[in-house]
Amino acid sequence: MKNFFLSRLLQASIVAVVVGAVCFALMRALPGDAAMRIAAGRYGPDARIADAAEKVRLELGLDRPIAAQFLEWIGSLLRLDLGHSLVTGRAVAHELQVQLGASVWLAATALLISLLIGPLVGLISGLKPGGAADRSGLAGAVVFRAIPPFVLGLILMLIFSRQLGWLPPAGFGSPREILLPALTLALGLAAMSSRVTRNAVAAVARAPYFAFARYKGLPEAVVVRRHGLRNAAIPVVSYLGLQAIYLVEGVVVVESLFAYPGIGHALVHAIVERDVPMVQGTALVMGLMFVAINATIDLLTFWLDPRTRRTA
Amino acid sequence: MNIQVRNDLLVTDLSIHTADGPIVSDVSLSLGRGHPLTLLGESGSGKSLVAQAIMGNLPPGLHAIGRILFKGSDLLAEAPSERRSRWGRSISLLPQEPWLALDPTMRVLPQVAEIHRYVKGRDAAGSAAAAKENLLEVSLSSAEALYPFQISGGMGQRAAIAMAHAAGSELLIADEPTKGLDAMLRDQVTARLRREVENGRLLLTITHDVAVARALGGTIGIMLNGRLVESGPAETVLKAPKHLYTKALLSSEPSQWERQVPAASGEMVIAGRGLKKSYGSKTLFSGLDIEIASGEIVSIVGPSGCGKTTIGNILLGLNPPDAGLVERRADLSSLRFQKLYQDPPAAFAPHQTIRKGVRDLVRLHGETWARVEDLLARLRLPESLLDRRPGEISGGELQRFALLRALLLNPAFLFADEATSRLDPVSQKEVITFLQEIAAEAGLAILLVTHDRDIAETISTRVIDLGSSDEKAM
Repeated sequence: MKNFFLSRLLQASIVAVVVGAVCFALMRALPGDAAMRIAAGRYGPDARIADAAEKVRLELGLDRPIAAQFLEWIGSLLRLDLGHSLVTGRAVAHELQVQLGASVWLAATALLISLLIGPLVGLISGLKPGGAADRSGLAGAVVFRAIPPFVLGLILMLIFSRQLGWLPPAGFGSPREILLPALTLALGLAAMSSRVTRNAVAAVARAPYFAFARYKGLPEAVVVRRHGLRNAAIPVVSYLGLQAIYLVEGVVVVESLFAYPGIGHALVHAIVERDVPMVQGTALVMGLMFVAINATIDLLTFWLDPRTRRTA
Repeated sequence: MNIQVRNDLLVTDLSIHTADGPIVSDVSLSLGRGHPLTLLGESGSGKSLVAQAIMGNLPPGLHAIGRILFKGSDLLAEAPSERRSRWGRSISLLPQEPWLALDPTMRVLPQVAEIHRYVKGRDAAGSAAAAKENLLEVSLSSAEALYPFQISGGMGQRAAIAMAHAAGSELLIADEPTKGLDAMLRDQVTARLRREVENGRLLLTITHDVAVARALGGTIGIMLNGRLVESGPAETVLKAPKHLYTKALLSSEPSQWERQVPAASGEMVIAGRGLKKSYGSKTLFSGLDIEIASGEIVSIVGPSGCGKTTIGNILLGLNPPDAGLVERRADLSSLRFQKLYQDPPAAFAPHQTIRKGVRDLVRLHGETWARVEDLLARLRLPESLLDRRPGEISGGELQRFALLRALLLNPAFLFADEATSRLDPVSQKEVITFLQEIAAEAGLAILLVTHDRDIAETISTRVIDLGSSDEKAM
């Protein structure tokens, strides 16, 4: 167990350095004048923009050597200081806290809704492969997975906001506003997790130990509960880890669409405005979240599947 | 053909049909208390289908007609739900390969206890206590908290017997209970089954192993191509077989083989010197020397888990030794050192016809199809089998195709890893005979790993005995 946490810590530091370096390099490689973009982000594009850009360049030291700027970032990272936004001047850590908090709420709500749909549909489909439930589950999964999130989001908006008027089309603040973006994400997630669950359940239902549990005389519900769920959950849990990562990516698009002020929204704006510390900080936190999600999944799998503990 | 003993279970004119027609026809048999019944036959002979018809778990698409009277009621007349309600209550199944039939993510004790809890309706504490009792009866208390992957095949089979005890059902159906077990464990499992009979349980055993049928006694039924070709008391059938197939079956038992040992003549092909290998804290072997010359068959025997296969894999370079070195005749390419695997279906791509696999091999190594045809004739394999998939031909035929694949590359050394242990006795003898002939004709050096001492002693120039190991035995 100690080795496990040490190796994950090492993984996290590698992620930090690589993500930081790649962001740094990419932001420099973007065409256009960074100082000009930052000035535009701060003061809005007006006639005196060129003067403003020159001031920004001097103030932020953008004309210093690239290596010096990168080492400075790494140095402050070691002091757990993510720096300040070049545009708003506020601490990056503070901005992240606000925006990441909002994103985590959205992601968690989406994952929760998808968990209510996906595994349940998958279980019913997998217990009778080729049956009516399985076939409609497949059709539903294909439809919801094939529609890109921004189209699905628009369709949901049209139905629930324009036609029925039940939910606000955009915004942030109350649980009602989180529902539509969360449902948009959740349907795409459930489409996939229902199929993965279906295959896992079908494989378990074909396994000799599942048949033997029946021959032991156990009632069907007990067979499924005691010998089906845990075994089928092993691949599903690993897949949910992948989904959580997909979610963070999907959040970027869906948040922008619904004007939801989360981390994805922040990232898109920071890139447009060349706010390097914001981009680095955001990417870093996302990278570390991936490491944390992976670690959580591995721990869950250790708990579910005794065979993995052999080598742990 | 009828056997009259005491009719606690009486099967009359049982036939099993698919949509295309019968695959088992007119089987009649019976068994009673103290008088077990053993169905003997190769895979595909229909013996497992007979057991499934009695259990009530025939695969979809098959249906049974005839009568199966169990304590006075006709099982075939019962609705599926009634039949299922017998499982674990009046009929229990001992699964083949119990290490696959146990839930891999649940400890042994709860897998026994759940029978008391959910079939007998006891409370949790009472179920656990009763399950401990069941495990104690088969001396398996030490395995209560272990997971199936942590116990040996013999222990797995005993866990299955503890479950049958927990169910307390009258009829026990043992489906290939010794499949995959070595001779020592096999004898322990049959002794355990024998004890079940003495305790008054009805026992129906399905096996392809004559030794199991002999040890169990009672009545033996011989099945071939869906028919019961001979049946009667064990002593009569085994001593004075009437049917040709029964005679072939009995003479294919390794202990009946004529000893025929190739002369060690040729030069050394491959050798290991001072080999050592350990897994974890357990040393499998150390300071082991082995040398195999062309035309020679060398066998390694020993119980499961003693490192037999590892030696062959080290020689082939598939596993590194912890110490020691492997010498090969210098002029031979590594392709000329080949391996024949234990489980033929696992050594073929399941969704590809055999012809495609063989053709790819011919193309890859620039061989000619004419050589394939020669080998087909040599191994007595009809060409029509080439267009089937590995699951559609028998294990013996598939193993001969595996041999064909290996021989196509002109091997100088062939490592046959338990290559016949999953075949029925008649196919086993065929494959072994081919190996002997090819060793003699082509000067092939063969290393045979087997748990069957009789085979090793009748065919090999030298036998390396890895002796008893500290495997968690029964």
